[in-house]
Amino acid sequence: MLKLDIENSTQQRKLEYLVLSLIVLVLYKLFYPTIDGTIFSIVNDFLIYISVAFGFYYASEFTSKRLSNPISLVLNVGILTAILFFLTSLSSVLFDSFRDIEEVSGLGYTFISIVVSLIFISFTTYILSVIRELFFLRQKRPTEKYFNVMLVVITIASVSATLAYIFEDLKFVEKTFYVVSIVVIVVNSFRVSWIAFLTKKEKIFLLVLSSIMSVLFSLISVSLSETNIVEQVLFNFSTGVNVFIKLVMLYSNVYFGIVFITTLFHLPTAGAFDQKSEEVSSLIDLSKLMTQVLDFKELGDSITLATNNVCNSDSAWLVTEENGEHELVSVNNIGYIEADGITREILKEIELPINKLVTLNKKAVKVKVKEDSRTFMFHSLVIVPLKVHKKNNGYLFAVKRQKYYFDVDEKKALGAFADYAAVALENAKLIKESIYKERLESELDAARNIQSRILPDETPKCDELDVEALFVPAFEVGGDYYDFFKLDNNRLGFVIADVSGKGISASYIMAEVKGIFESLSRVISSPKELLIKANNILKNSLGKKDFVTAIYGVIDIKSGKVVFARAGHMPLLVCSGKDIKSLQPKGIGLGLDSSDLFNSNIDNMEFQLNNNDILILYTDGVTESQNSYNEDFGDERFYETIISNCEEELSVLTNKIFRKVSLFSKDKEQHDDITLVLFKWKNNNKMIGEV
Amino acid sequence: MADFKVSSREQGQICIIDVGGYLDAHTASELEKEFEKLIEDGQYKVVVNFSDLNYISSAGLGVFMAYVETMREHGGDIKFTNLKEDVYSIFNLLGFPILYEFFDQEEDAIKKFNQ
Repeated sequence: MLKLDIENSTQQRKLEYLVLSLIVLVLYKLFYPTIDGTIFSIVNDFLIYISVAFGFYYASEFTSKRLSNPISLVLNVGILTAILFFLTSLSSVLFDSFRDIEEVSGLGYTFISIVVSLIFISFTTYILSVIRELFFLRQKRPTEKYFNVMLVVITIASVSATLAYIFEDLKFVEKTFYVVSIVVIVVNSFRVSWIAFLTKKEKIFLLVLSSIMSVLFSLISVSLSETNIVEQVLFNFSTGVNVFIKLVMLYSNVYFGIVFITTLFHLPTAGAFDQKSEEVSSLIDLSKLMTQVLDFKELGDSITLATNNVCNSDSAWLVTEENGEHELVSVNNIGYIEADGITREILKEIELPINKLVTLNKKAVKVKVKEDSRTFMFHSLVIVPLKVHKKNNGYLFAVKRQKYYFDVDEKKALGAFADYAAVALENAKLIKESIYKERLESELDAARNIQSRILPDETPKCDELDVEALFVPAFEVGGDYYDFFKLDNNRLGFVIADVSGKGISASYIMAEVKGIFESLSRVISSPKELLIKANNILKNSLGKKDFVTAIYGVIDIKSGKVVFARAGHMPLLVCSGKDIKSLQPKGIGLGLDSSDLFNSNIDNMEFQLNNNDILILYTDGVTESQNSYNEDFGDERFYETIISNCEEELSVLTNKIFRKVSLFSKDKEQHDDITLVLFKWKNNNKMIGEV
Repeated sequence: MADFKVSSREQGQICIIDVGGYLDAHTASELEKEFEKLIEDGQYKVVVNFSDLNYISSAGLGVFMAYVETMREHGGDIKFTNLKEDVYSIFNLLGFPILYEFFDQEEDAIKKFNQ
């Protein structure tokens, strides 16, 4: 806002200076219509130069703002030229009626002379300002000094003309600088690179315009160099400005002449240039798109649309490749079903993977799609692989139906474009994947949450039995479950189970399993019967691939008698002194078989615990923990750890086992839950007896 | 994770699937694809040769459970042969030998089918 104000005020000031200098000039002219005497003519010309300078600066305010549209600037100049030409021709016609200029003196002549001169001076100034802007347009190197040198030389030529008028001897200075000016003007007329960046339409328009303008300028220049009435008027007005106008007219003439010739030479390549800039802008659009588009489909549509622009193809479509399977993502100017059929036919014939751009144009490409009576005819078909980091993500197809092949440039452009498109697609894919991953993680969080709520908060406490439980969940939540049920004052039910599968589905099954064991434990006392019942329920609710392994048992706290049954689970271990027994009664996993086979293949097993015997339940997460050589922790290491620490407190033993397992598998990610449940029975009766 | 390999060959009416490496949740889908193909072709008598298999997880076991019913309904079966000891112990722990037929050698399974 502030900047705008400043700009406005400087513009205002420039206008004020200009108006002020013009008023002074006009007043001076009215008082001293004819130039006689040294001082008068110097003051006269000085005033005019000041006005021209202010005018030039004020004009550049306008011209510099319209740089984006050089054609309109040129058109402005054209209109001004036409008016100037009209004035000069009109005055030539009028020349006959005013045979003698001297006759037409007095106030009338003064007034006309001022008006005509001011028109010429202001137009010339504006034209010079326009050429200055065109001169700098699209210049890559600093060329300001060339133009400034020209301005200085023209000024010197004009001033010396003023001086030569007063001092006849200085005529040669004027002539010299006049010639120098012409040379500099010609040198400065070759700054026309802006023409190249015009569209074809604009170039045609410019060609017509510049041809008319250069003719008009040369006619004006010619008539000004003759003793024409306008020339006389200008000469009388100011000798210096007369030279200035002549030189600017000459400059305009040469400049627009060169513009005409340059445009003429640019015209044949204008179409190609347009296409190039179309390609460039397509690439720019796409690179913008890359950062914006999150939607895969939307991105695909933009890519196929841009493909047609980039390589002048008639139709384009995009096929992605994942695990060797192809999927048509987007089509442009072709039916979805057609494109899909054609893609399948062509990919069948071509040896995959394609590593670089492939062109098919043996006269014409005919594609016959299965179950379609039509034959698709293309004159040329190009397939570009979309590669990122040497991985192929798909193919971009472009076809021409008309009788043209893809030329080298079009293929190059398409190749470059495909690189961009591949990266854009890869980005979109990564974003999609990261969204998916986030969702997966939140799902896993939910699963962990369920799991932690299902497992008991604490282990039962009683004098005769130490109970320890350790549960270490894997990242991808496994389905381990353990629980304790206080059946009556003496009996404690226990369960350990492992649900097949992982993640949220496993944790849901786990919740179901908990419900089943919690309710069945209250009504069925035989572990075998309980597991048979559990199997009946689970077989109906589990999926085909799911199963649950479990051990259910009941321990009599007072007597140390244990009854348990096993349904496909890891064996129950009993550590007695330095001896480990692995108890594995027969039993099929829950949910594997619905009927008699399960019922007839499960047995209860009973045994008596001795004082300080340890009972160990575990899941395969313990023994199947692997080290970096893919070796299992295994039974042997497990048993050895138990035996060597069996005299420790139960909590210490539990920790020792866990430390051993985690140390063993420290280089590998834990991929299943680890669960350990340990009981240590103390024979209180015996102890009392001994004491 | 170590690789998993699966391939199938035909011997008369019977299809033999060779599995090798590590069969777990990540590789189970490859084995599933193989079974899908067999069902599509109407091939229901299957022998799975485990001679190169080093490890099987619960998800791997699930694959056989998922397809055995279909095979049996069509008069076929899935039979297991050439299991390494520790792989067999996983099957055994779960009670699979009660539900499925296991053989030491591939030929024995084929013989059983041809009976």
